[in-house]
Amino acid sequence: MENKILQINNLSVDFLSDDISTNAVKDFSIYINKNEVFGLVGESGSGKSTVVKSILRILPAPGVITNGDIKFQNQDILNLDENELSSLRWSQISLVKQKALNSLNPLMRIKNQIIDTIRAHEKITTTDAIERCNYLMDLVEIDRTYLNNYPHELSGGMRQRVVIAIALALKPKLIIMDEPTTALDVVVEKEIILKILDLKSQLGFSILFITHDLNLILGFADRVGVMLKGQLVDLDSAEKIKSGGNDEYTKKLINSIPQVSNDNQAKTDNNTSVLMQIIDLQKVYNLNSSLFSSDKIHAIDGISFNIYKNEILGLVGESGSGKSTISKVLTKLIDFNGGKILFDGKNITKILNNKDLLKYRKKVQMIFQDAFASLNSIHTVYHHLSRPILIHQSYSNYSKVERDVIIKKQIIAILEEVDLTPAESFLYKFPHEMSGGERQRVSLARALLVRPDLLIADEPTSMLDMSIRMDILDLLKNLQIKKGISILYITHDIASACYLSNRLIVLKNGKINESGDTSEIITNPKDDYTKLLMNSCQSDWIKNRS
Amino acid sequence: MNRLWYMRIWCNYKARLGIIIVGSFIIIALIGPIFFEDPNAYVDTPLLEPSFSHLFGTTGQGQDVFAQTIAGARATLFIGFGSGFLVVLFGLIVGSVAGYFGKRIDNILSLLINIFLLMPGLPLMVIIAAWLPPGPFSIMGVLVFTGWAWNARVLRSQVLSLREIDYVNASIIIGESNMKVIIYQIWPQMLSLIMASFIGATVYSIGAQVGLEFLGLGDVDKVTWGNNLYWATNDLALLTGSWWTFVPTGLGIALVSFGLTLINYGIDEIANPRLLSERTLKTRLSTLYDRNGSTPVAKDLYGK
Repeated sequence: MENKILQINNLSVDFLSDDISTNAVKDFSIYINKNEVFGLVGESGSGKSTVVKSILRILPAPGVITNGDIKFQNQDILNLDENELSSLRWSQISLVKQKALNSLNPLMRIKNQIIDTIRAHEKITTTDAIERCNYLMDLVEIDRTYLNNYPHELSGGMRQRVVIAIALALKPKLIIMDEPTTALDVVVEKEIILKILDLKSQLGFSILFITHDLNLILGFADRVGVMLKGQLVDLDSAEKIKSGGNDEYTKKLINSIPQVSNDNQAKTDNNTSVLMQIIDLQKVYNLNSSLFSSDKIHAIDGISFNIYKNEILGLVGESGSGKSTISKVLTKLIDFNGGKILFDGKNITKILNNKDLLKYRKKVQMIFQDAFASLNSIHTVYHHLSRPILIHQSYSNYSKVERDVIIKKQIIAILEEVDLTPAESFLYKFPHEMSGGERQRVSLARALLVRPDLLIADEPTSMLDMSIRMDILDLLKNLQIKKGISILYITHDIASACYLSNRLIVLKNGKINESGDTSEIITNPKDDYTKLLMNSCQSDWIKNRS
Repeated sequence: MNRLWYMRIWCNYKARLGIIIVGSFIIIALIGPIFFEDPNAYVDTPLLEPSFSHLFGTTGQGQDVFAQTIAGARATLFIGFGSGFLVVLFGLIVGSVAGYFGKRIDNILSLLINIFLLMPGLPLMVIIAAWLPPGPFSIMGVLVFTGWAWNARVLRSQVLSLREIDYVNASIIIGESNMKVIIYQIWPQMLSLIMASFIGATVYSIGAQVGLEFLGLGDVDKVTWGNNLYWATNDLALLTGSWWTFVPTGLGIALVSFGLTLINYGIDEIANPRLLSERTLKTRLSTLYDRNGSTPVAKDLYGK
């Protein structure tokens, strides 16, 4: 017990409801040593956040802790009363959450938010408090002048640093980080983690780091626990986990981490013809447009590239690089301000009437990032998949009954094609009855039913659990070969783009940084930014950097 | 909400009580007047106290209060639900068009909505009601004209946020027409808000309509709850102490509004499961659970 700062034994947490109670966490036991980074990995719904909230006793209704004990420095958190708990929270255990913007009060200056936190636990004079603010800002390496700013005036990375500064304000012994970097770009994410590790060695605290990204945590954690369906299935040192762990599930997770490698490149056909030509594309968003002035953002700033027939083109960039704007422009969801887009040699800005637009929609389809949001929760799979057929095919010669039989046949065929078997059992399912991977397959089926020439895939795997991402990527790859369509694969993850695509384009701030054959870019990246991106997705990124 | 939303509403005890109250009033309003030939007929001495021959007594004009209350329910509920429906329908159409198409269309429609929101509702309502020929449809028109903007604004903001969700974009990309996207993809998702708006608008319509008629701005020959109250004051009910001429009508209005508000609470609990789960914990853990406190620890929950 000497060296252990937190010990959780047989923790069980239930979500109560009138009829059925769900067991969110079951017999969960871990301990965390002083000065240790403990990584807790699990897919969405595995119960990792429930564990965090139970430790702080901030799990909202209907959560109830039904068994176990949580010992923090020899006192059982489960036996403390409200006053003891509130003096424990933050001064001993603090929490850094995923979305910094939600953790900060938008109406308060940074300075006041830090002082508020300190004053909740200590009596402190204003000069001392400001002194402490300055010290904290120095720790997280943000200029002191930002103390007088509001959260929205800071970038995402800076906001997360401020949240970390607030978490450090009372010098806690344990900091729980619940996906602190998930909302950040890969490069910024790595900077923040290096900063956290640096602070840990300076100040000496323990970290419980919660994430769904095994690749990330293996880089810097001392020990790693793997959660599945509310239970701890694997627990070992990071080294052991990296080499395969002790459980089948860990192995599956390890194998599903895409690596930047040159093995699986399909060779590019040299004699393919151009499907879509994007020439000097511009898209400007007006911000705060008022009568007298308007701030403009150049989301896409003069981009030119071609999409060839029968290829997978990877478009890699961080958030804000303009990649999602490109997908919206190409699908004609929004207009663009300058340049030209030629599809099959025809200028798509000249599409004015609904009939031509429908023809274009038949050629260009898209699948979305959020598999849950891209299906309407009140409609069945059958409804979702019957719409594209009814819109794009004519059944005027058939009776309604005949028509329904034909449609059903087509839907079953496409469901089998996207590996949803037995297809009949999926026909009348609602989105909430399916897993994330299954939902993404249904959206893919919906796009394919239109029989497009170009499929735009906007981060199709980033919201999915690690273990099924590879399956979806493989499915895309196989379908591309089988159907001979072109795919524009948009992602922030250069590793998966390397795995999937024949050619790569790296975007930054609305401009093309580097483009070329994937194998060429992997072996010989010319641009520093591309190198940085590639380094960030290696599991041993920490060693490469230092 | 899934497809069994109506079952979930029925299973919620607040909503169920509300539905029973409002439902029984609707049934009374539908079939009740069949049993009374003319509620305006002179039946007995004016201002008789409630008795077995006249359950709720008689009015200052010698009419049966029971018959008038029931006949009034029909007219009042018809106008109430009717204008509630029209207010929401009008608001839904304007709000959806503004929120869905955005840009210039939104600017113009939002301007229109704002103008209507800024107009002082009550004086306008009184003036228009006094200017139009008295009658139920005039009152309905006045209520819709002065009441639609608020709903349009609320529903517009909901459409605006649903418009950005991927399934709407996905529907547009597969080639669905704008109208079908609104009707099949957006409106069903707003059902709980539309229902709540409808109920809110109905409560408002009943209140406003009774108020207008009480001021004598309705057709005073018709039997409605508002007119019942108008005649009660006209016949100096308070001075003569004949409480039975206005209490039944007043209770009717209060009960219907209460029932509708209960339904609204029920829908709120269903649309916001957190309210429901707080109640569940309260009943199952009693003292262990404190709404503002920490996560409860109940190690003997399953009787170990």
